[in-house]
Amino acid sequence: MSAKKEPVAFTKEEELLLQDFSRNVSTKSSALFYGNAFIVSAIPIWLFWRIHMMDLYSTFFLFILITCASTYLVAFAYKNTKFVLKHKIAVKREEAVTREMTKKLAEDKKMSKKEKDERILWKKNEVADYEATTFSIFYNNAIFLALIIVCSFYILTTFTPAVNYTLSVLSAGGLLALLSTGSQ
Amino acid sequence: MAGTGIVVVSVLLAVCAFSCARADSCGKPEVTTTSYTTQDATVLTNIAYIAEISLKCSNAIKGLPLYAEVNGKILTAARTSDDNRYQVSWTEEVKKARTGNFNVNLFDEEGYTTLRKAIRNGEDVSSVKPLVSVTLNHPGAYNGPWVNSEFMAAALAVVVWYSAYTFRNKLLF
Repeated sequence: MSAKKEPVAFTKEEELLLQDFSRNVSTKSSALFYGNAFIVSAIPIWLFWRIHMMDLYSTFFLFILITCASTYLVAFAYKNTKFVLKHKIAVKREEAVTREMTKKLAEDKKMSKKEKDERILWKKNEVADYEATTFSIFYNNAIFLALIIVCSFYILTTFTPAVNYTLSVLSAGGLLALLSTGSQ
Repeated sequence: MAGTGIVVVSVLLAVCAFSCARADSCGKPEVTTTSYTTQDATVLTNIAYIAEISLKCSNAIKGLPLYAEVNGKILTAARTSDDNRYQVSWTEEVKKARTGNFNVNLFDEEGYTTLRKAIRNGEDVSSVKPLVSVTLNHPGAYNGPWVNSEFMAAALAVVVWYSAYTFRNKLLF
């Protein structure tokens, strides 16, 4: 008879560490992602309104619907890309961050070795997080907009603007989300 | 008496016929030309060439029918409201439209007949002397930008994507 194992609660440090390396993003980061995704998803509205001459009022609901769907897809891609990039960036920047932090903390004699290490780790995480977030936004925006332009002007040019809009935005968002799920 | 009358009438008729024949051709023709050719062909399929010719003859002749020959093509010069003003116009497909100077050779009835005859006999058209010749210049029409904007946008977007992609690879590997 095996004794039922009590789930061991994580310590605060462990939780923080888990959070640093998990796919979940903080609320602040999430808001940034969704805000950016919304802006990028709304850009095609201008393209189809002014260039493809779609009527803004009669297709208002289509615009809202597609923009929402696209916002979700783009934000999903942001998160995945950030997750993949964060570790790689952390490894790449490790040395530089350690060097800089060691130099900075060298004057503080009172601080214990453990705390210094923790500070370095924290700083490393912060740097990697920031860089991964911003780069993920840039990278996905670049792909999304390029896909939209190529789809709407070349691949789906023969369709009516409404179909063109729906297909190009959704396929660009979908492809972006799909590409972001790759581990490399 | 009757005989003398007939002679006088026939002389008068002969003089009249002679003067009428003279009146049909334009002496020392002088022309002033204004021309128009299509400059903007972005939304057009054909280029229009229009030459407005004002003809002045020393013998003050008016309403003379004129014909024009441009690059071996024969056109009728339309007489505009004013008696000695004419308009020659033709169109050309945008792709075939040549730029530069066009020689518009104007012929009167007599010259036109000779020209037709020359064409029929397969002779050189340039051997027929025109009444007067004017030059029409077509500097070329604007066909829109060399690179259209959507191509430019797509190319720029792909360049940005490529730079993002290479930078990402640098980070990952």
